[in-house]
Amino acid sequence: MSSLGDLLYALTEWLRTTPLVDLAIWISNLPLSLSIGTHFWVIPIAQTLHILAIAMAFGSVLMINLRVLGLTGRSRTMAQTVRRYLPWIWWALLVLILTGITMIIGEPVRELINPVFWIKMVLVIAAIVLSLWFQAIARRNMAQWEVTHDGRLTIRLGAVGIILLWCAIMVAGRWIAYAPV
Amino acid sequence: MTLETIWRALESSPIGAFVAASPWAFPTIESIHVIAIVTVVGSIAVMDLRLLGVASNNYAVTTMSRDTLPWTWGAFVIAAISGTLLFMSKATGYMQNPYFLWKMGLLVLAGLNMAVFHLFTWRSVSNWDSDCAIPLTGKVAGALSLLLWIGVIFCGRLIGFTLGLYE
Repeated sequence: MSSLGDLLYALTEWLRTTPLVDLAIWISNLPLSLSIGTHFWVIPIAQTLHILAIAMAFGSVLMINLRVLGLTGRSRTMAQTVRRYLPWIWWALLVLILTGITMIIGEPVRELINPVFWIKMVLVIAAIVLSLWFQAIARRNMAQWEVTHDGRLTIRLGAVGIILLWCAIMVAGRWIAYAPV
Repeated sequence: MTLETIWRALESSPIGAFVAASPWAFPTIESIHVIAIVTVVGSIAVMDLRLLGVASNNYAVTTMSRDTLPWTWGAFVIAAISGTLLFMSKATGYMQNPYFLWKMGLLVLAGLNMAVFHLFTWRSVSNWDSDCAIPLTGKVAGALSLLLWIGVIFCGRLIGFTLGLYE
C-alpha cells in the first residue's frame, strides 16, 4: 500500500516537471474555465451525466460479456446481443468524453497534474482497444462467439478481463478525488 | 433515546470509527459503492427502456426481466452494504445533509414504483409480453424508474460537495 503511495507521489513529482503544468495553468485562465469556476452547478451536473453514461456503458458491457460467459441472455444469439448493446457503449463513450472534457476545463490542475487521472486514461485506452478488437472479431466470425458453458477459454477470459478493466476504470475515476495534487 | 444518539453510536462503533479514521477505507468502499450503483442503474435502465419501447422491443418482457433483475438485486445489496458502511463513518453529518435525505426519499419512491409495477401491472404481463404495445401503466413505471434513479445519482454526487456544509 505504501509503495503504491510512493509510486503515485513520484508520478506527481514527475508530472510537475512536464509542460502539462503550463497547459493546466493556461486552461485555468480561459474564460470558459473561469466561468465554470463561478457556476457551482456545472461540475456536479457534469459528474452526474458522467456517472449516468458509465451506467449505460457498463450495463451494456455487462450484458454483452455475461452473455459471452453464458450467465445471462441465453435465449438470444450473440449477434442479437451485440447489435442491441454495442451502439450504447459507443454513444455513452461520447458523453463520457464530452463531460470528462468539461471537468478538465473546469478543474485542469486537479485532473492533468494527477497521476491517478493518467492511470485512468491508460485504462480507458486499453478498454477502447479491447472493445474495437472484440467488435472486429465479433463481426468477422459471430459463430465463434456463440459460446455458453463449453465455449473457448480465451474468449471467456477476455470477457472477464473487459468487465474487470471497466471496474478498474471506475475505481481510478473515484480515486482522482483522493490523489494528492 | 433520540435518533441522534443512534447516529452517534454508529459513528463511535468500531466499524464507523475505522471507516472514518482509515486513509484508504472510505475511498475504497466508495469505489465499490459506485461500481454497484452503476450496475443497478445500468441494468434497471435496460428494463426501463424495454418498457418504454425504446430498445430491445423484440425481446419478451418476462425474459428481459429474468435476464436483468438478478444482477440488479445483487448489485443493490452490495450498494446498500457499502452505503451503510460509508454512512456509519459520519452518520450525524449525513442525517443533516438535505441531499442525503433526498437521496433516501427518492430510493424509497423508486422501490414503491417497482413494487406497484410488480404487484399490479405485472399481473397481466402475459397479454403484452412480446410483439405488442406496453400498457400505459408499464410505460409510466419505466419512465418514473429512470427519472428517480437519475435523481438518486444526482443527489448522491451532491452529498460529496456539501457534506462539510451542514454540521
